Amino acid sequence: MPDLRVLLKDELNKRVLLLGNEAIVRGILESGISVVTTYPGTPASEIGDTMAEIGKEAGVYMEYSTNEIVAVEVAAGAANCGVRALTAMKHVGLNVAADAVMTLAYVGVKGGYVIVTADDPECYSSQNEQDSRYYALLSNLPCLEPSDPQEAKEMVKAAIEMSEKLGLPVLLRTTTRVNHTRAPVTYGKLQKPNLKGDFVRDLKRMVMIPAFARPQHISLLEKVEKAKEISEQSLFNKIARKGKSEYGIISSSSAYNYAIEAADLLGLDANILKLGMTHPLPEKMIGQFLKVHKKIIIVEELEPILEMQIKAIAKDHAPSTEIHGKMSKQYFSRKGELSTRTVAEGIAEITGKKLSADFQRINKAYAAIASELPARPPILCAGCPHRASFFIIKRVGGEKAVYSTDIGCYALGTAPPLGVGDLLICMGSSISTAQGINRATGRNTIATLGDSTFFHAAIPGLVNAVYNNAKVTLIVLDNVTTAMTGHQPHPGTGITGMGSPAERISIEKIAEACGVKYVGVVNPFKLKEAETALKEALQHDGPSVLVFRAPCTLIDVREKRRKGLKIVPCKIADKCTNCMTCIKLLGCPALIVEAGKARISASLCTGCGLCVAVCPFKAIEGGSD
Amino acid sequence: MKEFNIVLAGVGGQGTILAAEILGTAAVKDGLNVRVSEIHGMAQRGGAVTSNVRIGENVASPTVIEEQADVLLGFEPLETLRNLRFVSERTLVIISDEKVPPAELAAKNKAYPSMEEIVEKVCSFTKNVAIVETEKLATEVGNILTRNVVLIGALAASGKLPLKKVSLIQALRELVPAKHVETNVRAFNLGYEYTKKKIR
Repeated sequence: MPDLRVLLKDELNKRVLLLGNEAIVRGILESGISVVTTYPGTPASEIGDTMAEIGKEAGVYMEYSTNEIVAVEVAAGAANCGVRALTAMKHVGLNVAADAVMTLAYVGVKGGYVIVTADDPECYSSQNEQDSRYYALLSNLPCLEPSDPQEAKEMVKAAIEMSEKLGLPVLLRTTTRVNHTRAPVTYGKLQKPNLKGDFVRDLKRMVMIPAFARPQHISLLEKVEKAKEISEQSLFNKIARKGKSEYGIISSSSAYNYAIEAADLLGLDANILKLGMTHPLPEKMIGQFLKVHKKIIIVEELEPILEMQIKAIAKDHAPSTEIHGKMSKQYFSRKGELSTRTVAEGIAEITGKKLSADFQRINKAYAAIASELPARPPILCAGCPHRASFFIIKRVGGEKAVYSTDIGCYALGTAPPLGVGDLLICMGSSISTAQGINRATGRNTIATLGDSTFFHAAIPGLVNAVYNNAKVTLIVLDNVTTAMTGHQPHPGTGITGMGSPAERISIEKIAEACGVKYVGVVNPFKLKEAETALKEALQHDGPSVLVFRAPCTLIDVREKRRKGLKIVPCKIADKCTNCMTCIKLLGCPALIVEAGKARISASLCTGCGLCVAVCPFKAIEGGSD
Repeated sequence: MKEFNIVLAGVGGQGTILAAEILGTAAVKDGLNVRVSEIHGMAQRGGAVTSNVRIGENVASPTVIEEQADVLLGFEPLETLRNLRFVSERTLVIISDEKVPPAELAAKNKAYPSMEEIVEKVCSFTKNVAIVETEKLATEVGNILTRNVVLIGALAASGKLPLKKVSLIQALRELVPAKHVETNVRAFNLGYEYTKKKIR
């Protein structure tokens, strides 16, 4: 990783390779934004992490908020004091924040406010692949969609200006291929952040009781009309390429990159209208584009949101123009991410142009190889405390218990051989779904979720369990960090995003304060203790909470190395009978088979000792306990 | 050069992201347009990962499509095979000998295929295959964690890469932690020399 302080350099026109998320941070610094709030989530995490790294030096306040709605509310408060703010989240975070966003649209802002929502087509690291652009239509907020890091930076600046001009928050909707693409970015001028705001009472605008909300709705609709004019003039909406074909292509976001390359691949010399401001759409500009083409191809990822609106525009402006995309016939898929290949295949089908590559032949040749390859899904790391936790949970709960799980690394515990995780919906869902399952079946229900997820979304569910006396067991898999997204701090870690010491909020005390009568804390690597505690918890008449606490192995190993401590891997002794119990029970990546024999990879093993404990022949040596 | 496409294939934790970043940074130093794409988050946890590096004036998409790789840089032999759809007969495939057995092999009590078997499969797509003994070379350097940088050195020596060696080394110096810079430069040079000798 480069020194992120390169982002602080006030060198106009400097050209640097930046990750999309780093480019967004540079946009923050070039816009005079002084408050950044976030909850980590792939693919948006590095926006917050980069701010955490350089925020102090840049004079920008950043915080990891407990969840996305809190993040939006904190920033909305600041922006209504006239300071510039930004909140970053992954797409599903916007669902959590939606309650605030929908009415903040009525209230509006004084200082510019940008909400970054990062979609994840293909679910690389997500539970769904929703298209967040619907939120722009739902909330009436303007929406900008960059297609690369440079544009992402420019759009942060444009969004802040637009936000102040309209008095509205602006959505910046990215996708994984923007957030996690590195590209050359040219610097603009830095703008000093101004954290000094002023709160001026304005009840009719800011207190959304019904009497005030009704006129504010009208005000919002007027703002949308103004935003439309901005969209017509926006430099982000433009003919990106001129051509002579009867076809015209309209595209936005990452899909634009594929569209332009696909047109090249097919030798389609078409006009390409690139839309960067996709809500509200520039109706006149699009109407004109439709008029001058007999046939239109709309290339967009996920939902046909442009297509629906453009078809409506066509009815008024160019009713005889043919429009192809993914609605009447699906030339492009509504699921997963697009690629230059899939877009070229779609365009070829529409236009009758021939592809030079024979993708069917390639598919066939590759399928022959792929069918023989062992799968390599992501798995819990060697030494991960969750492996010990799931081992115990399965041993106690067996096949009869139902296991609701949650969003985090521990979702990987669903896979065999651990096999703990029967229902997973969203952040915090485990504790609440467990209650419904228990009501409906009377079976033991064990909910597992992580420490950061506990603070994010589990507390109302836990209160519900106590209030309605649900007989469920919640196990908080506390690895003292937000592991999956890159080890961000959270309210239980005792440190803030900007590195200041903070009150360490105790999960077990919260559980007790919620009225849970059985609360325990154990280290899952102490198998016997943990097993006894879980048995007791399951017998408890009412909700019970167990905190399985052991640090994330990645941090633990890093800390040990820093302190000069040696990591001593476990070893398989000669008396090993090759019964493979360790492999069958644990699925640890450090346990491998070589020449038909179980072996421990010395480079992967952290010496956690879990395999030592499960070996029926006591043939594994080592381990810290 | 119209465009130059590199697919980097490996397992989360092997350093493919850093390697791709070195290539991308060197491209910017050489004044070229470049797109580097990578996958973070859940997929990284010991799972199969790929990064793409695309260099060229008109490159817009960050991802390489089927058969369009100029180089497939395999950080792990099985993962090299998993990405053969990006390979055509003109592609150069460079494979590190760093085997990371997937858990499925252990669970099914199956052996990891031999390098001969791996190379044979690659050869059904392209004859341009090179194996780099990164374990031996990184051990020689004195830090087994430099295997990814050894591989970049090997790629630089192939003569195919449209990037200057000095830019690559400069990028490397900027991207690795200060205390490991010299070790990494040594790893790069060792990978480079090793491959130069092999080509001769």
